[in-house]
Amino acid sequence: MNAVRLAAVDRDGRGWRPDVDTRRARLEDAVGTVLAPHRDRLEDADRVAIAPDAHYPFHPSTGVVTDPAVVGAVAAWLDRELGADVAVLGRSDDRIAFERTASYLGYDRLAERVGAALVDLADVPKRNEYRSAGGRSVALSVPEPLLESPTIVVPTLRPTAEGMVAGATRTLARLVRSTAEPERIAIAVTRAVEPVLAVLDGVVAYGDDPAAVDAVLSGSAPAVDAVATSLLGRAIGDDEALSELVPESTRPVAVENLDELDLDAVRERLSGGRLPPSEDTHPAVSTAYRLYAATSGDAVPPQLER
Amino acid sequence: MLSQFRSRASDSGALSVGVLGVGNIGTVHLKSALAMPDVAVVAAADAVPENRERAERAGVERTYDDYAALLAAEDLDVAVVALPPFLHAEAVERAAEHGVDVFVEKPLARSTEEADRMLETATQAGIAVGVDHTLRYQPDMVGVKSAYEDGSVGHVPYASITRLNDGPLGRPPADAAPPSWPLDSDAVGGGSLLELGVHCFDVLEWLFGELEVRAATTGHTLDIDVEDAATVLLRAPETGTTVTLHCGSYQWEELPEVNTRLRLEGITGTITNQEHLPEHFYASAARAALENVASRVGAADRTVFGPTFYLQAHYDALADFVGAIRNGEEPPVSGRDGRRSLALAERAYDLAAETTATEIELPEVRP
Repeated sequence: MNAVRLAAVDRDGRGWRPDVDTRRARLEDAVGTVLAPHRDRLEDADRVAIAPDAHYPFHPSTGVVTDPAVVGAVAAWLDRELGADVAVLGRSDDRIAFERTASYLGYDRLAERVGAALVDLADVPKRNEYRSAGGRSVALSVPEPLLESPTIVVPTLRPTAEGMVAGATRTLARLVRSTAEPERIAIAVTRAVEPVLAVLDGVVAYGDDPAAVDAVLSGSAPAVDAVATSLLGRAIGDDEALSELVPESTRPVAVENLDELDLDAVRERLSGGRLPPSEDTHPAVSTAYRLYAATSGDAVPPQLER
Repeated sequence: MLSQFRSRASDSGALSVGVLGVGNIGTVHLKSALAMPDVAVVAAADAVPENRERAERAGVERTYDDYAALLAAEDLDVAVVALPPFLHAEAVERAAEHGVDVFVEKPLARSTEEADRMLETATQAGIAVGVDHTLRYQPDMVGVKSAYEDGSVGHVPYASITRLNDGPLGRPPADAAPPSWPLDSDAVGGGSLLELGVHCFDVLEWLFGELEVRAATTGHTLDIDVEDAATVLLRAPETGTTVTLHCGSYQWEELPEVNTRLRLEGITGTITNQEHLPEHFYASAARAALENVASRVGAADRTVFGPTFYLQAHYDALADFVGAIRNGEEPPVSGRDGRRSLALAERAYDLAAETTATEIELPEVRP
């Protein structure tokens, strides 16, 4: 369980290419390399579910969402090597419908090309599941496709707004409903769904800004998240969910670094990186403006009223 | 021509204003109007309850969930139309029925055809139409124009303008629902060219006189219905200036930084808007605070949105419009100016489509 396989993407053709097929072609060897060892766990499946980080239509060149080209390369491998049907999963939330996100990111055209189905998990039957997390039982409402098909989670290498690794477990957590704390949902959903595999899109990562890392890696969801945490310069011990999913006795996670990618350089590049602040305006500026407005009686811009 | 504009100054002390649409920019107009001397903001309308509540907190007397109801119920001199573009024409028609002058958020309309109908309606009703093209009110643009007209770099054979922001999808983290209408071509008529490019066309014609569009291309960084990038090659015959314009709603923005760049390449040197931007935000905020505090005890004018020059430009644009209405003058940025920017955008769309068609129709090369 606690080993991941890392493959570097062909360094020819670095730099963003807007054509998804061009990007997919560049990725296919590396994706095949990280999927091949898991072939026996997938070959009996008629249908495989792929769960990318498609939480919002941010441009995939930023590393803030999974590049649909990585999903396309995984889907193409599953079709070519195993003849499996593929479903790409997402879930509408109170901000945006999955249909819009998928359309803006080009998943609908991609799905058509690789013969995959797009499934909005907000619209499918759910099953109540109960799993232990943090010493207590967590109730989850889990969309059935996550339970009925082997699931490959395809997160991207980035932090969350709270500073943790976005990762496979939190990508899964966004697809279910629960009233528990976010950390416990991430633990419980990983135990309920038992994803067959996680494939980390590290082609473009996000620290304080995008960075071309040019790598993909595969392994169990917790193991991949543990390595991603390390690459982002975080400690597993600071991550409540990963601390439970990757107990100390199973650390460190071994990395089969086939192409001898300089992981120290990646860690140095990404370490401590964060998403932009949540307000439209820099927090220091917001504070200064409110102070100014209170002192002067001037109007406060609408962006600062939220 | 000016005879159609009747003075509102003599009716009463204060000009009666209603704000139709109090989303983001509508709230800027609302707060601007509330701070203006001799202006009474009597009502605001918005279909979104949270926006109405914000307007009430800002100090507006009455709110409506339907702008037509507001126009029917209130006795207005001026209506600020800050609704989505697909409602501009209808709102101007309703305002015309009640004889209310209108200050319309850009783009004036979704097409020149729609703009022509609006302006014809306005002319027949005898109401004034102004458009919120604000770049020409920004201090950096005013500085560029002043330096250019002072002849500080001589003849300007080439200029470039870039305006970028992050559009309705914003930047991470995703904590708000993005509206769908700005990405719907039926609702807005176009993408970056109509959202940002029209501002650039307006400021360029303000600088160089009438422009001719020579070539254009548009692009999509995501699979959305409208372009989120556009590049236009222009020629200003009067000044002999060739201009490149690039606008896009694909770049993350963190206020108060805004990415608006204007460069005039002259014979003896370069004029840039960056040289004329107000000083650092904090220094600007501190100075504006001191001035406003002083204005409470003295006769000095208060500044509105003092530290943010681009919001202050909206105040100045509306104040200029209100001043023209009060004096029975044609609005300084008129409906004709708004239509002119739309016409340039439409020409750019046509040329971009021709470019795309030409690319598609390239003959196949056979060995």
